[in-house]
Order: sequence, then C-alpha cells, then structure tokens
Amino acid sequence: MRRWGEWFVVTAAVLAGVGAAAALVRGGYEVPVELVAPTLVLNLAVGWSFVGVGLVARRRRPASRTGLLMVLLGFAWLARFLLAVDTTPAFVAGVLLGSVSLSLFVHLLVTFPTGRTTTPAQRVLVVVGYLLSAPLDAVFLALGAQRGRGEGPPPHGLVIAPSNGGSTPEPVDLVVQAVVVVLLVALLVSVWSRWRAAGVAERRALTPGLVGGTVVVATLLVERTAILLVLPPSAGVVLAWSAQVVLVVWPVALLLGLLRSRLDRSGVGRLVVDLGDGPAEPGRLRSVVARTLHDPSAEVAYRLPGTDDYVDAAGHPVEVAPRADRAVAHLVRDGRPIAVLLHDPVLSGEPDLVEAVAAGAGLAVENERLHAQVRHQLREVRASRARLVEAADGARRAVERDLHDGAQQRLVAVGLALRLARARLGPGSPEELDALLAEAGDELAGALAELRELARGIYPPLLTDEGLGPALASLAERASLPVVLGAVPGQRPPEAVEQACYFVVSEALTNAAKHASASRVAVDVVADGDGLRVDVVDDGGGGADADGSGLRGLADRVAAVGGRFAVSSPARGGTRVTATLPCG
Amino acid sequence: MLIVDDHASFRSLARRLLVAEGFDVVGEAGDAADAFVAVRSLAPDVVLLDIRLPDLDGFGVAEVLAGDEDAPAVVLVSSRSRGDYGPRVDASPARGFIAKHELTGDALRDVLGESGSP
Repeated sequence: MRRWGEWFVVTAAVLAGVGAAAALVRGGYEVPVELVAPTLVLNLAVGWSFVGVGLVARRRRPASRTGLLMVLLGFAWLARFLLAVDTTPAFVAGVLLGSVSLSLFVHLLVTFPTGRTTTPAQRVLVVVGYLLSAPLDAVFLALGAQRGRGEGPPPHGLVIAPSNGGSTPEPVDLVVQAVVVVLLVALLVSVWSRWRAAGVAERRALTPGLVGGTVVVATLLVERTAILLVLPPSAGVVLAWSAQVVLVVWPVALLLGLLRSRLDRSGVGRLVVDLGDGPAEPGRLRSVVARTLHDPSAEVAYRLPGTDDYVDAAGHPVEVAPRADRAVAHLVRDGRPIAVLLHDPVLSGEPDLVEAVAAGAGLAVENERLHAQVRHQLREVRASRARLVEAADGARRAVERDLHDGAQQRLVAVGLALRLARARLGPGSPEELDALLAEAGDELAGALAELRELARGIYPPLLTDEGLGPALASLAERASLPVVLGAVPGQRPPEAVEQACYFVVSEALTNAAKHASASRVAVDVVADGDGLRVDVVDDGGGGADADGSGLRGLADRVAAVGGRFAVSSPARGGTRVTATLPCG
Repeated sequence: MLIVDDHASFRSLARRLLVAEGFDVVGEAGDAADAFVAVRSLAPDVVLLDIRLPDLDGFGVAEVLAGDEDAPAVVLVSSRSRGDYGPRVDASPARGFIAKHELTGDALRDVLGESGSP
C-alpha cells in the first residue's frame, strides 16, 4: 500500500516537473533563451530533490513529519511555475501557491528533525510564515494587483534576471519586505538558540540541517535587504542563484541528520570490541556506551534482583524515573528487566541505535550488574555494621545513665541515712551499734566506688559532654600505670570516631596494665589528613594476640567507621596499637 | 540554704542531715525552673545544686544564678565523682563540688570556707 503511495508521489512529481518545463517554454512570456536551461535544471533539481529525499525520510523515520513537509515543499516549489502561464486562472493560482514553499521552508527549519513545534515561539514563527504566503497574496490579488503580467519574462522573479528588479517598489512592498526580514532574523535566532540548548547527541542530529538552512536564510536575508545594503542588481542575481543551489542539497543535509543513527551503528561493532578487551573497572561500560551514543550524559543503572531499585556501577542508588532531560531504555533479559540505559531524550528518535547498543552491551551489562550488586551489598553491610556499633554505644550510654539515676542514687541515699542514723544515736549509745553503722557506711562507700568505676567503663559521660581530650585525660589519670598523653586535637570529630578512638585507648591501656606488665604507656592522638591517628605504645613484654577478643573487637569497631587498625607486638619488644580513623 | 535535686529521698535525707549539723535549710526544689523561683523568693545564702536535673543541668543553673545581684554561693553535688566532669567544675562559677556520698556538714563548710557559714 505504502509502495503504491510512493509511486504515485513520484509520478506526480515527474509530471509536475514536465508541466513546469512546458509552462516555462510555452507559457506565453518572453524568457531569455540563455536562461531557460539553467532555470529549468536548477528548479527541477530543487523540487525533485525535496520530493525524493522527503520520501526516503518518510520511509526511514515514519514518526517524524519532516519527510512529509519535504515532499510538500518540493511540490510547492514546482507549483510556482503556474506563474509562467499567461492566463488569469494560472496567474491567480501561481500567486497563491508561489510563496507557500517559503512557508514550508520556515516550518521545516523551525521544527526539524521531528516536524513538530515544541515552544510557543516556534508556533508563532511557523504561523507567521504561513500568513505571509497564500493569505497575504490573496489580499493583494483581491486588491487587484496584477503586476508583471503580459509583457517581458514571467512575474515574481520566477526566472532570475536583473531586469526583474527594474520596477520601483511601492510602500506596501517595503512593509511586506520588512516583515519578511524580521521573520528571517527571528528564524536565525530560533535556530541558534535551539542549537545552543541541544546536548551533544542532539547536536549531531541538528547540525547538518541547521547549517544548510542557515546558509539559505542568510542568503535570502542579504537578497531581501540588497536595496538597503546598496548592492548592485547583479549581486542580487548571484545571491538568488546560490540560494537555489543550496536548496538543492539541503534535503540531503536534513536526511543526514535524521539518519545519523544509521551511520552511528557502525560504532556499535566497536563497542563490542571495546568492551571485550581492557580492564573491567566499574563504570567502564558507561563510558563506552556514552562514547558510542555520542551522549556524554548517558548512564547505565543496574536493577537489584527482587526489587525495583537501581544502582550504578559503584553500587550507589540511582533514580531511574524518566525526566524531561532524561529518557530511559530498559534492558531486558529472559523477560526480566536487568538494567536501564538513561540517555538524552533526542536518542529516543533513534530507537534502533539504542537497541543496537543495548544488544552489543548485553554480556557486559550482565557482568557489571553482578559487580554492581556486590558493591551495593558491600555498602549495605558497611552501613549496617556502623549502625550496629552506633546502637551498641547507644545502649551502653543508656545503661550508664540508668545506673546513675537508679542504683547509684539509691545507694547514696542509703549512705546519707546511715550517717544520719549515727548522728541521731548520739553519745551514750551502744558502741557496738555505732561501729556496725560505721562499717555498713564503709562497705557502702566501697560498693558505690565500684559501681561508679563500672559505669564509667560502660560509657564515659565526659566523652559526650567534653570531648576526647578531657575524656582521655581522665582515663590516663585513673589508669593503674603511668600514662604520657600527648596533646589531643581540639576540634571534635564525629561522635562515632570519638567513641572508636576512646575505646581503642581504653582497651589498649587495660591490656598494657593487665597482660603486658608494662611500666609506662604513651598515648598520642594526632590529626592525620582529614582524620585522626591514635598510637598507644607500651614498654611491656609484647606478644599480644591480635586475634584475641579484645583487639579483634577494636579492629571491628575501627573498621565500622571506615578506619584501619594495626597491632605490632614483637616478643619482649613492647606493643604498639595504631588506629587511623577518617572523619569525612 | 536551698537544696535542688530531682530525687525527693535525697532532698529529704540531705535536709535532715544538714539541719542536724546546724544548717538552716529554707527550701527544696526538684528542677531548674523551681530552683530559680525558690532563689528569687527565699533568697538563700547557699544553694546545694545537683548537676543532673530534668530540665537544665546544674552548670547551666549556676551560670544563670551567678548573673544575679546578691548571688547565692552555689555548691554542686552529684552521685558521679568530680573527675567525670573534667574541667567543667573548675570552669563553672560554682563555689565548689561535693560528691553526694561524701556530703556532710563539715564537707560543706570546707567548700564554703569561713565566710559561707550559715
């Protein structure tokens, strides 16, 4: 069916061309002999070029209106030759159709490559373009304008010759001319702003058509303002001819833009090769795909199995909902989506390219998806480990507070009551009872002291209230062996780092006193890049077991905040515990 | 003097102990807000102030009271030991610190010195 339609259009175009030639030669006007051949060749070339290339564009890109507009423009161009027939009906039809081709040209250039207007400004341009052709010409006809009929060459500059510019322009002509010039300038501005706003991928599609169109518009602009620019009539002739020459090749430029993806497909083969060799580092697929699609903003996101969540190659969550500046292509394997390709929306007009890239990247996608999944799980595990440590510290703090508010307070009250009881007994009371109360008071004081020590070991309130420096100083004071504490950086790190640092020192001091039989310990906390470095060095017997539960627990705690932990403990060489904690 | 502590049993025992040791206890308060009201209305010479209160902590209360004309002498008390507060006790305008289990009339007089006797 479509084939028949195409044949019909081609036949009609051939007939229109033949008709135009006949009209030029036999229409009744005087056409300079030397201009017949060039005029015919050039105009038939323009008309047939638009029709032919328009048909190709329509077949390759059915979703775009560009092909249809090109076919119409070709016919409108040939229809101008009605003016060459010296009869009133032909003249009327010729005048009405004569400048429709210009309107279609404006429409094409403004809306290329989709053929559809997207902004109010574009709509205004297209509508004004149409109003300036047939409707305006109809007004002139109704007012009785019959200029150029009868004598000499065909009217309205159908045949380009200097003699056409002979008549003096009337004021109304100048007004129309001015409107046309404004329209052309607006057209140039529209084209320029569209090109500037376009992404890399879109520019590849736009550039050939816009450059060709701009040349035509610029030529028309110079031609229309020739009177103002004081150019000789011969220059106007040259410009008019060259505008037509550009018009012959412009359809090809438009087609090139429309079919850019066909040309780009040769790059897909390279994509497969590129993915094949070279190191498999995260994000490599993304960069190769972006290069192949000529869309630097292209991204690949991988679906986490069993969820609707997507992550990038490094395992970071990615939002995959389509946005105005982002189109989404789903990559499906065995009926299940495994990844999405986020790309410049202009590429949606080239589904075959995106599909080819997706197919070419198939295996690599599967591979990177597994990597992304592992990285995502790793991030989850790290986050949950940090949360566990945080929760444990929170629980310790709560226990310390409960002890302080509960048992400690009550025991303190009991102590006061005992003291009060002794005071009330006064002199003359049995000595035994007084001694008993004193003994109970001492025992109670001992229990309170132990309870306080226990609470402090569970969680030091000083750490939260005052920070690392005072907390470590208090720790060093209470230690059972001499501790030399270096200056602690004043700026407070994040709470988790502060706690990790405190418990590293606390545990290391306990070990030095209990197991290493050390005589002194040096504790140093220094700023290390963005983080902290803690060193606890004793002069004890060494030989500490880094896999023992105490040191193992410290290593886990340091790892939970993303730090590094090391123990060096040669026999008889002392023990050095080092933790590096990032604060970022 | 005024006793500020959120534990009623401590307030009551401390009051009886200090009265027995010759102090004149004019009132008690259970939190910082009550303490401010009591200080304004009773004008005590000494405030025995627990560090851990439900609203503002003892250091904060001591700061505010120190701003008053005729400010009372503030003595901080806590069931924790002084070391648990690091440099905060020294930095506070309070006259001194007594651990709750060491609270006696003599300890209080020591902290207040000669001028602080009731």
